[in-house]
Amino acid sequence: MVENRPFLTFLTHAVLIIGVIFLCFPVWMALVASTHGPEALSRSPIPLWFGDRAWENYSQLLAGGLPEAGGVPIGRMMFNSAIMALVITFGKIAISLISAYAIVYFRFPFRMGFFWMIFITLMLPVEVRILPTFDVVTKLGMLNSYVGLTIPLIASATATFLFRQFFLTIPDELVEAARIDRAGPLRFFWDILLPMSRTNIAALFIILFIFGWNQYLWPLLVTTDESLYTVVMGIQRMVNAGEALPVWHYIMGTAVLALIPPVLVVVAMQKLFVKGLVESEK
Amino acid sequence: MATLSIKSLGKTYPGNVTAVQDVDVEIADGEFIVLVGPSGCGKSTILRMIAGLEAITTGDLHIDGERVNDREPGDRNIAMVFQNYALYPHMSVRKNMEYGLKNEGLPKPEIAKRIEEASRTLRLEEYLDRKPRQLSGGQRQRVAMGRAIVRDPKVFLFDEPLSNLDAKLRTQLRAELKALHHRLGATFIYVTHDQVEAMSLADRIIIMNAGRVEQIGTPMDLYLRPATRFVADFIGSPAMNFIEGTVGEDRRSLAINGTQVLNMGQELPARAGAQVAMGMRPEHLGDAGGADIQVSLQVSFVEQLGADTVVHGNLSGGAQPLAVRLHGVHASEPGSEIALGCGMGHVHLFDTATGARLN
Repeated sequence: MVENRPFLTFLTHAVLIIGVIFLCFPVWMALVASTHGPEALSRSPIPLWFGDRAWENYSQLLAGGLPEAGGVPIGRMMFNSAIMALVITFGKIAISLISAYAIVYFRFPFRMGFFWMIFITLMLPVEVRILPTFDVVTKLGMLNSYVGLTIPLIASATATFLFRQFFLTIPDELVEAARIDRAGPLRFFWDILLPMSRTNIAALFIILFIFGWNQYLWPLLVTTDESLYTVVMGIQRMVNAGEALPVWHYIMGTAVLALIPPVLVVVAMQKLFVKGLVESEK
Repeated sequence: MATLSIKSLGKTYPGNVTAVQDVDVEIADGEFIVLVGPSGCGKSTILRMIAGLEAITTGDLHIDGERVNDREPGDRNIAMVFQNYALYPHMSVRKNMEYGLKNEGLPKPEIAKRIEEASRTLRLEEYLDRKPRQLSGGQRQRVAMGRAIVRDPKVFLFDEPLSNLDAKLRTQLRAELKALHHRLGATFIYVTHDQVEAMSLADRIIIMNAGRVEQIGTPMDLYLRPATRFVADFIGSPAMNFIEGTVGEDRRSLAINGTQVLNMGQELPARAGAQVAMGMRPEHLGDAGGADIQVSLQVSFVEQLGADTVVHGNLSGGAQPLAVRLHGVHASEPGSEIALGCGMGHVHLFDTATGARLN
């Protein structure tokens, strides 16, 4: 380790503090801006401390029906986002667990072929395959539905790969001990593999929840029905409100509200998340 | 408790790699069998075939008269203890032991009773609610044994269970294992590469080399009358001395490298002119006075072990390595010579080409 010298301690702290300020300033600005009226934000200098309209702005936002946001209540959009993020997260974890289990523990023809097929899709982000995917979704009549919003985003090569790597680290003897203990494939999966993957699942949950929550392009494409809008889309629509001036106080308020669920997920699962990334259980 | 019958058992892996061939052995009820051999000799493969973890390519395996070749490991009524313990890391000690019984569908009171008994036997009572990672290596191995005991199997299988432990703990657990076998009276099959473990534990030893059985017998059979040169070399520490040479015309001498001649007090049980390897254990070499075979050892270094002294060196006037184990403390200077002798009764004679025993 580096020697413990007062000057170095000071320097490292200074760098860290500057970094934190740099990262937190936009969040601070959003918080501050959401407590002012519209005029305060179009004037220079922009206020750096809270205003007096916090209550008014947020109750307006939550009560919903802002014409500037296309009339969709924030609550509704938050709900849509939550549904989308949760279905994507649970779906991805379930499917990738099962497919990794198949690839690692079962011998079937073209096993490696399937693995490489999954692996290759890693190289194609949603944006690249968006047109064919959209075509498929349209033909299946899944436009404007939660199904269309979530299912195409569920298949996940990254998570499958991650679970495969984890399963490969589990010693063969453990599988053999389970066979001698009369655990069939399903029991082994449920009683041994799943509990052992707990920390990995938690880490993935956070990453995938944020991924799902922040989806923008795909919901924008498949939903035209306002009751299915997600909160990220809502913010974007408010910014591009045509001729009118952007209502920054509402936009920032929405942004702050949209931050809350991912923050809650991170805070709740933070311990497991770090464990999942750092620890490799024996 | 069960008898085991293994008939012309063989294992061939894809790509025609033969790991084990033609193993025949009848194991009696309650016997402690140790499979021993250098790494890669196929001993673990045999154990895994008995367990059902490895498919049997040829031959038959009967447990208590029933052919079990195609049975799942869980249905063979066996239990296995692994080298790396293979405990379920997320389960407590109690859950680890319970798991197999639950899967069998045993009633709860019966499970609790068996776990209580086993944990008392293995002194694990206070650890029942701990996770494996909170236990030491020796404790973990005891849990693995407990997991085997509670299943009350017909056959216990051990795959080098003590190899991951330090020397002292190994000796201690070896004694516990022996006591456990005595108490349970079950059939034990135990794989190890350590000949000391094999000698001290086994009722009978199966010694393997390159996929074949070299010899099956009690530890003393193997020690006193090794069937092949491989067995003679493998059993015993320090290893047996071998002097290779040609039997003389009168069958009372051995010509080494064509130059040196070793004279015998008795006729050798081999034809004149035969190429043989003469084996003498270091502990059987002793006072030269009146012995059948007399050799002289040029000392190169000495191992003082306290109870014994092992002197290493060469046959005087040659390059043949030779070691002798002397009782008590002896001081020998490197370069000095010691006169040694060995009785004919302690000489093992092997054919140089085939390795087969001649006397």
